Amino acid sequence: MANTQPTGALDNSDARPRRSRQLLAFVLDNLVWIILIIALSAFALFIPRFFQIGIFLNIVEQSTFVGIIAVGLSLTLIAGHMDLSIESVMALAAMLVALTFGTGGAGGGLVLSPSFLAFPVSLAMALGVGALIGALNGILVVRFEINAFIVTLAAYIWGRGLVVALSGGRSVYGLPDELRAMAIQRVLGIPFLAWAFIAVYVVFAFILNRTPYGRHLFMIGGNMVASNRAGIRVARNVILTFVLSGTLAGLAGWLLASRTAGATANLGIGMLFQAFAAVVIGGVSLRGGQGRLSGVFAGVLLLSSIQTAINVMGMRPHFTMMIQGALVLAAVLLDTAKNNIRRRYL
Amino acid sequence: MASPALLNLVDITKKFGAVEALRGVSFSVSAGEVVALLGDNGAGKSTLVKIISGEQRPTSGRLEFDGRERHFASPGEAKDAGIETVYQDLSLCPNLDVVANFFMGRELTRKVFGIPILRDREMREETRRALTAGGTRIPSLRTDVEHLSGGQRQAIELNRFVHWGGKLVMLDEPFAALGVEQTRRGLETVDNVRQRGIGVILITHVMAQAFAVADRIIVMRQGIVAGDLRTDETSPDEVVRLITGDIERVGQGFKQQEVGTNL
Ligand SMILES: Nc1ncnc2c1ncn2[C@@H]1O[C@H](COP(=O)(O)OP(=O)(O)O)[C@@H](O)[C@H]1O
Ligand SMILES: [Mg+2]
Repeated sequence: MANTQPTGALDNSDARPRRSRQLLAFVLDNLVWIILIIALSAFALFIPRFFQIGIFLNIVEQSTFVGIIAVGLSLTLIAGHMDLSIESVMALAAMLVALTFGTGGAGGGLVLSPSFLAFPVSLAMALGVGALIGALNGILVVRFEINAFIVTLAAYIWGRGLVVALSGGRSVYGLPDELRAMAIQRVLGIPFLAWAFIAVYVVFAFILNRTPYGRHLFMIGGNMVASNRAGIRVARNVILTFVLSGTLAGLAGWLLASRTAGATANLGIGMLFQAFAAVVIGGVSLRGGQGRLSGVFAGVLLLSSIQTAINVMGMRPHFTMMIQGALVLAAVLLDTAKNNIRRRYL
Repeated sequence: MASPALLNLVDITKKFGAVEALRGVSFSVSAGEVVALLGDNGAGKSTLVKIISGEQRPTSGRLEFDGRERHFASPGEAKDAGIETVYQDLSLCPNLDVVANFFMGRELTRKVFGIPILRDREMREETRRALTAGGTRIPSLRTDVEHLSGGQRQAIELNRFVHWGGKLVMLDEPFAALGVEQTRRGLETVDNVRQRGIGVILITHVMAQAFAVADRIIVMRQGIVAGDLRTDETSPDEVVRLITGDIERVGQGFKQQEVGTNL
């Protein structure tokens, strides 16, 4: 790297590298966005009826749930752990809300007065159960030093088991409209819940890049021993990260219940893998300490664009899975290639 | 007791299962004093450093710092008490840039609606000033540490402790990856730190470094203090023999004498 140093650079400067290298770095950092734009352009050109505002709104709306749980997954991966429980936590939160407020099926039909209270109460329930499971995961990982893969895989399994057990395998429907405001109300043609998805990314990108907590997360993922030596409270930060991840999954579950106006025992199955795919495509390193939420956001949109394209073309849905699987592999290969290019030219 | 010691270790032991890394270590360090800690590989130097810095807990023994007994539960607590450490295995985050590493765990922030926000520009300025003052040259502070050489990384750590100061600094083989000129500057730095009234424990394998800068030399061998000598009252030859164990009894006698007169 020394020989490519621009001549005349000041020592200890905050000089950015030369133009050409800056451009290359920009392309590498934002590769997912470039791929997303190319994919959308190609779909718009070659698939009849794809280029409509309604379809794009649909892509954003569809991305909400996977998108929100992918944030929690990204946070835990950046900290050098992972959270596989997000899908089941989401389903559990949705089921608890549906069981409490649903008027049909297994729903309990709770009516609060005034009735708008269903909105904040159901939200608090969903976030609360998410935070609780997140805290449990975090404590098992940190205090009992059990691998996060095992801890959260277990929660993925028992969480889903609990969903089935609580509902007795029956569906719940008929959630009151007060509770479903997020799915019903629209601004600029986009439902509130999709705005919530975008807001989550803005807020957490800010937290990751601009607050000490965010920076410490990268440090813990990069070198845990050094972080501890620097006086960073590693245990507390990691537990907090699992709590955030669980809470976000709870939020996704609440939005999912609003959207579907109920819940089924197999609600959201497969979303964990989509979230994982999006995160990897978005450039979050599975080795920890590396990743940007803007990339994850683009990864989520890319996956759901492909899914939508396949739907519009009338292909059968299992093609989606095959293409998404191939994309994950491509993303990992791309990551290796990017690192090689970085090492050689930057 | 003329002046109470800054750091006072009494009979510190440390067991790793069956391995006795420390078997009763006692010595003290005063403010503004440089103590060189010497000893063969495996003598227990790094273990002792980790105990003082709060990364590990002693199996038994007393640790007094700044006038009272301490039980550091974490490196953060030791840092808060005023102990800075440069570890033998470097403590940097390779995935982050020079500035982030320089301010690791002590980021400058400003509160906006009660939320702490990083002050990146101020941190960059301060890092630049500190590195320049320390004579360290790194092309760009935006470089991730993984792209820096071993010497540059060590320099960042050295500048970091000088900047933060504290009351006691421990340096575990800090010059191992440095060139001749950088090492000379490093030793100068140790001298400057002493003049600020900070106590220094310097671990090194190079006899010349110890004699160049230390007020006292403590030799460790197999988990005990084999000798505790004033630099101007000993010779490299004697220190080598203490390290290898040729004159253990003499060393211990000396130690008792020191304890009797100096404390
Ligand atoms: N975490 C550990 N687990 C087991 N043994 C250890 C550990 N750390 C150090 N030791 C042992 O303690 C002894 C002292 O090691 P160390 O303090 O690194 O010595 P030095 O720094 O003087 O070379 C060695 O025998 C080493 O193998
Ligand atoms: Mg050592």
